[in-house]
Amino acid sequence: MPESSETATYSPTQLPEHLEELRREVREFVDAHVRPSVVDNDRATASEFDWKLVRAGHDRGLFRLVIPKEYGGAGYGVLGVAVALEEIAAACAGTALIFGATMLGQAPVLLSGDPQLQSRFLPMFSGDDPVLACNAVTEELAGCDLLIPENVVHATDVVTARRESDHYVLNGRKRFITNAEVADFGCVYANIEGAPGATGLTAFLVPLGTPGVERGPVADKMGYRACLGSELVFRDVRVPAENMVGGENNGMIISTQQMNMARATVAAISTGVARGAFELAKDWCGQRTQGGAPLYRHQFSARKLAEMTSKIDAARMLYLNAASVADNEVPAPAYEPASAKLFADRVAIDVAEEAMSLMGARGYLLDQGLEKFVRDSLGARIYEGTPEVLALAITEALYADEEDF
Amino acid sequence: MPVFSSSEQAQEVFRTLFEILLEDDVFLFRMTDSNLSLHLVQTKPDVEMFVSPDGVHDGPPPSRATIRIKMSCDTAHSLWKGELLMPMALGTGKVRIKGSVSKVMEFVPILQPAFDRYPEIIAARKIES
Ligand SMILES: Cc1cc2nc3c(=O)[nH]c(=O)nc-3n(C[C@H](O)[C@H](O)[C@H](O)COP(=O)(O)OP(=O)(O)OC[C@H]3O[C@@H](n4cnc5c(N)ncnc54)[C@H](O)[C@@H]3O)c2cc1C
Repeated sequence: MPESSETATYSPTQLPEHLEELRREVREFVDAHVRPSVVDNDRATASEFDWKLVRAGHDRGLFRLVIPKEYGGAGYGVLGVAVALEEIAAACAGTALIFGATMLGQAPVLLSGDPQLQSRFLPMFSGDDPVLACNAVTEELAGCDLLIPENVVHATDVVTARRESDHYVLNGRKRFITNAEVADFGCVYANIEGAPGATGLTAFLVPLGTPGVERGPVADKMGYRACLGSELVFRDVRVPAENMVGGENNGMIISTQQMNMARATVAAISTGVARGAFELAKDWCGQRTQGGAPLYRHQFSARKLAEMTSKIDAARMLYLNAASVADNEVPAPAYEPASAKLFADRVAIDVAEEAMSLMGARGYLLDQGLEKFVRDSLGARIYEGTPEVLALAITEALYADEEDF
Repeated sequence: MPVFSSSEQAQEVFRTLFEILLEDDVFLFRMTDSNLSLHLVQTKPDVEMFVSPDGVHDGPPPSRATIRIKMSCDTAHSLWKGELLMPMALGTGKVRIKGSVSKVMEFVPILQPAFDRYPEIIAARKIES
């Protein structure tokens, strides 16, 4: 497989050959393993989590796209992950997030630049059995406060980390953590005991089999039901000091870089959701005749379809650019990924809603698939930065001083 | 007070450092094998050099380098002394890198000889920190 990305100008429909090849491979995976079970996985209970699908993704290397080749990965970088996630989300956003959340858990290991952590936590993704990861930030009393640097001081009751010789002891509870129920390890953000709010936020890689870690219960979500979001409880969990990423009190720095990598891929998921909804509406408007002509020949419907497809193209261009920038600048800049996500999340909601109106009553039926896109379209607006959080990141970048070294 | 008193002094120190790295077989092999080149831009005082498998050249590169690194000389000094960790320097924007991130990641583990030798380079020049 090819090396990760280069800076390039992308067409919304035609990618460079190595990414087209990846897109074809992922499409085959989606057709064979995701589409046939979309409805079942949407309605399944947590205990029916689709491990068969996960294994198929693992066998095709889709959980190690961002991992460098020297650690057994595919070396595609953020751009490859984003292209893959759009394809998966065009069928099922929840499935895409199983992959996306794993990449989020891998990101701090990559960002650590620490060969020792990398050789412990990356090769496991190329073993015989599938391995999932998760990223644990959110808590009951601290949501966006843990994503906005100026607001960490206001966070309350955050998971604590207390140093005890060569270990840290973690206590507390995380909520809404995608993959927590099924992951092998998580990147867990904890506040060094005694630091006000979450000003001592620190990232730890925690194997979830460590004594004192409890998983669950799984949240009963409106959308993204194929992936499991659950609580993670820490009761005197001893984590070796060498599992800390980036040093004490530097969690916000790691988390910000991680978000700047991830937001382009979430924008890709939203683009996929919009595309999935659009494809249903396009097919319907091609077949359905009213007033003596197919719906797409009526000017009002034509206008809707044209605007939907233009918005999807624009969202794709923004995420491709953001992912490419994230692969070619360290630290990954805040502006492009946040703006791509802000735009694509809105497009997903607008396109799904327009698709619903174009399909009439058929769109409203449970067995047509569209209502799932509508439900899923609202999810990405919450995780990895709400519109308000993204707006703050964007304006912060707009008004940032010139580089001063 | 900046660590380096003049551009000439800083340029000479960092040129020496990269010449040491190029004498390391692992570093040279990786640079050649992965087709890596480095454009180093440092400020306060200004330093600019281009590092390729052929050697260390003062000034800008003849063509675009695969990796461009920008930081202040004080930041470079703290990094090579091991006082500032690379992930933190990157995360706080004290060091900015342009170029394929995967190529940057290939670079990091092979810089050890420079960390090992930097203290003696500055000690020999009586540079206080
Ligand atoms: C599908 C899904 C998957 C998720 N996966 C994960 C995961 O893997 N790991 C994880 O840690 N979390 C995960 N989450 C949780 C998610 O990251 C949080 O829900 C999110 O950060 C918002 O926090 P909150 O829900 O507590 O909302 P709150 O922080 O309470 O915010 C509520 C509203 O207030 C607004 N608001 C808050 N602060 C400000 C402010 N300063 N200025 C203006 N407006 C503000 C918000 O924008 C939002 O509209 C997931 C959520 C979902 C829906």
